[in-house]
Amino acid sequence: MRPSTLNRRTFLRGAGGACLALPLLDIMHGCDSPTAGVLPQQFRGKGGPKRFVVFWTPNGTIMKDWRPSGSADAYTFGRILQPLEPHKQDVLVLDGVDELSAYKGPGDAHQKGTGQGLTGTELQEGDFAGADGLSAGWADGISVDQAIADAIGNDTKFRSLEFGVHVYGANVGSRISYRGPAQPIPPENDPTAAFDRIFGDLESDPAAQARKIAERKIVLDAVADDYQRLIKKVGAADKIKLDAHLAAVRDIEMRLETGSTIGGACQPPVLGDIADPSKVGNIPATGKLQMDLLAMALACDLTRVASLMWMNSATAKPFPWLDIPEGHHELAHRGDGDADAQEKLTLINIWYCQQFAYLIERLKAIPEGDGTVLDNTLLIWVNEHQKGNDHDRHEIPYVLAGKAAGAMKPGRWLQVEGDVPHNNLLVGCMNAMGLEATTFGNPKYCNGALGLA
Amino acid sequence: MSFSRIVVWAIVAAAAGGCQNGDGGDGATTEGSDSDGTTDGVAVETEGGEAAECKGIEPGPSPIRRMNRREYDNTVRDLLGDDSRPAQSFPTEEEALGFNNNADALVVTSLLAEGYLGAAEDLAEAAVQDLPALLRGCDVKKDGEATCAEKFITEFGRVAYRRPLTADELQQLLAVHQAAADEFDFATGVRLTLTAMLQSPHFLYRVEFGAPMEGDDDVLRLAPYELASRLSYFLWGTMPDAELFAAAAEGRLLEPDDVAEQATRMLADARARATVRDFHGQWLELRRIEELEKDDDAFPGFDPDLRPLLRAEAEEFLDHVIWNDRGDLDAMYLAPYTFLNGELADYYGLDGPSGDGFEKFELPPGRGSGFLTQGGLLSVLAKPNQTSPIHRGKFVRERLLCQVVPPPPDNVDITPPEVDPNLPTRERFKQHSVDPACSGCHGMMDPVGFGFEHFDGIGRWRDIEAGQPIDATGELVGGNTNGTFDGVGELASLLAGSPEVERCMTVQWFRYAYGRADAKEDACTVDDLTQKFAGSGRRIQDLIVALTQSEAFLYRRAPEGK
Repeated sequence: MRPSTLNRRTFLRGAGGACLALPLLDIMHGCDSPTAGVLPQQFRGKGGPKRFVVFWTPNGTIMKDWRPSGSADAYTFGRILQPLEPHKQDVLVLDGVDELSAYKGPGDAHQKGTGQGLTGTELQEGDFAGADGLSAGWADGISVDQAIADAIGNDTKFRSLEFGVHVYGANVGSRISYRGPAQPIPPENDPTAAFDRIFGDLESDPAAQARKIAERKIVLDAVADDYQRLIKKVGAADKIKLDAHLAAVRDIEMRLETGSTIGGACQPPVLGDIADPSKVGNIPATGKLQMDLLAMALACDLTRVASLMWMNSATAKPFPWLDIPEGHHELAHRGDGDADAQEKLTLINIWYCQQFAYLIERLKAIPEGDGTVLDNTLLIWVNEHQKGNDHDRHEIPYVLAGKAAGAMKPGRWLQVEGDVPHNNLLVGCMNAMGLEATTFGNPKYCNGALGLA
Repeated sequence: MSFSRIVVWAIVAAAAGGCQNGDGGDGATTEGSDSDGTTDGVAVETEGGEAAECKGIEPGPSPIRRMNRREYDNTVRDLLGDDSRPAQSFPTEEEALGFNNNADALVVTSLLAEGYLGAAEDLAEAAVQDLPALLRGCDVKKDGEATCAEKFITEFGRVAYRRPLTADELQQLLAVHQAAADEFDFATGVRLTLTAMLQSPHFLYRVEFGAPMEGDDDVLRLAPYELASRLSYFLWGTMPDAELFAAAAEGRLLEPDDVAEQATRMLADARARATVRDFHGQWLELRRIEELEKDDDAFPGFDPDLRPLLRAEAEEFLDHVIWNDRGDLDAMYLAPYTFLNGELADYYGLDGPSGDGFEKFELPPGRGSGFLTQGGLLSVLAKPNQTSPIHRGKFVRERLLCQVVPPPPDNVDITPPEVDPNLPTRERFKQHSVDPACSGCHGMMDPVGFGFEHFDGIGRWRDIEAGQPIDATGELVGGNTNGTFDGVGELASLLAGSPEVERCMTVQWFRYAYGRADAKEDACTVDDLTQKFAGSGRRIQDLIVALTQSEAFLYRRAPEGK
């Protein structure tokens, strides 16, 4: 165990504060940021902004235990989705969407399934070693969460937040989110670091907060000028790199004053002692903390777009807390006839579903408008594959939750027929979030929007 | 000016699915075949050594290089005496060609920029706790704030930016100081100026403008301070020391000989050993030892606590070879000894040393071939529950021979065969040689990997698998290094005698030293380095010094597209 380095007193002091300066304030409910009120209508929910959240797990599922039975409106969950029973009216089981683009381009099945899940476009050629001699580079386009963040994430402290739980290394199998071609966004695995980043600046003392902002303005102004001057003197290739760095500096600078105020539903969680997040055995504890932080970042309107990547693509980690000593990937590769492996894979997916249910609960627990934050959110569970042993990327086991402020209709088992490319789903998500997109990713693999309403 | 044999950058497998044999046939051509025809090629020297002229100076690309986390931590340690290693909380580097210092891959995301800001704030806050030390004796009361501010910026700036500041830069930083001092106080001025400097591109990147050369508009020679930084970051992974700064300032870092002299001096320092370890940690995938997870049922003898010991074995061995033994490529590949402590000796079932400390140990005859027979590497190049001839073969091809194994056709089932207690690994992988869609590429990998079959999935020697004696015969075909062998010993001899391996060793060091891929226009430099390496008896230390003497190191291209 590692002691938390956080100053808890700060937050206790802050807990009594209220968000008085804010318009649209409903003191009983969530604490809207001042900018939520000026958001264009299509990005607004009821009593708060719309949010988009991705929940990502690797190595496929066991379809016979995942797929519900019955009819579209009168269905029974299979074993894997059983933990969603209390939230049946809040989830949409999306059955039959195919990750068609992920059969194309460089990379092995895991690399493609991961890098294309949210981008819907091929990976670049590159040197990341895949299975059996395959290799690939990064994804060749922006991911859907970032496209959405570009529309709805400009007024918050963070355009988006990327959480990890046990995501190691820096390669195509450990990234799902991209700012653009070959611009992967790394997830933060460490709840302490995530806490410091998200809430560390929330000074309860307004004078200290103002001082910090004033100091950072001086510094970041100077730093940005420095990059600006150098950019004029370098060649084209270096310019691209320095431009990206300058953009990141400007981004921090622009958001200096877009923090939030503690109060109402916005109460930074007290983390307590934090178990070493690099230890496999601590994955359940780490994941729970990350979900708490994610939910609270939404409640405080510090971001409107977030993702949670549980583990790497093809992760070889075991699940000791489920008494499963074998690595997930190894199990996923065993044949359909291996009953022991099948059962263990089902148990792993049940566990992931319990985590998904926990995140739903967290978002449901934050009141907003007449409902909860979940009502204004589109939450989607994405898996890199459908099936582990043959890497099937058809019929990806998607589960959506929330209502996207009415743009998504949950409480259904939506079975789609034929080849429905997952790019269509990504467009559907964008539409539900208020973006007027008609295509996403490589248009070759997109033939319209999959309506979610 | 040097002459070189022509290097043909051949794309080994233009045809879908086919590697050496190209007999994947139509069955292998799928709709995904647009991903084939990789742009990476295999350097194949034409037979007969056709001479090509290497005209003029060709430095190759010279991308701006940003510090990676190791370099950042070392730099702030040397600059501020801060050994808190703040970069360990930055995001992991993105890698290219197996190295984490590749300029093209080191882009900056918001998360990293925030990391830089936070680290700079913390470092500056800590540094101003002892303001007099930071001001180096300048007394604010006696000398005045303006004088001390200027002195601080000038002197600290020179080490932080690793060269004297320009007059403009001094004025700009003074303005930062003044703004902060006016709004707050003098100490805040110093602190915020320092915070800004630690985020400057001149600190975080190695910015090089070079110096013009007479009669050549396309090529610049590196300025002395720029050479000092190239030397220090390559050899030590940190900023220049006082001697390098002095040499740059005093005109003692102008000629290639000056650079070689410094490189030789620096190699004797412990920091160079750390760099060589860092190189091997990446090239030989030793860093992955720490992530090893093995299947308890298949390998009950594998305890995660062994991981640091397996890594130590490899490091102790390479340290010994490079710094104490002959220091040449042959010793790396062929040494009949390794380094063990008591616990590892037990693990391998060897009658070796008994204490905690590592000792040199002669392996039983036929079992030791340098780094190639060590448990850490062989466990990394294996599956959790079995060996992996594919990964072992691919490692030899890509890391040791610098060849590229092209991707197989899309949509093939690449599920590895399941473990069968009655069938040895070689038998289970038979489909790869029978199925024409597989045999082209797997013919490059599997028969090489089979040579390692005496070593199980956790790197321990075995004579029998599935009730049958191990067959460790194998074959290298396709490139310029060809032949049959039985076991790692013979494979290692084949490799150690191969000019391709010699050249690949050079290329790997090139990529690490220069933080970039070897481009086509680097062919002459690589040839030249390889010849020097060969000429020195293939000593790694000599290769390292030679890398500071190349056109790629001493010069840079004039920037294009300004």
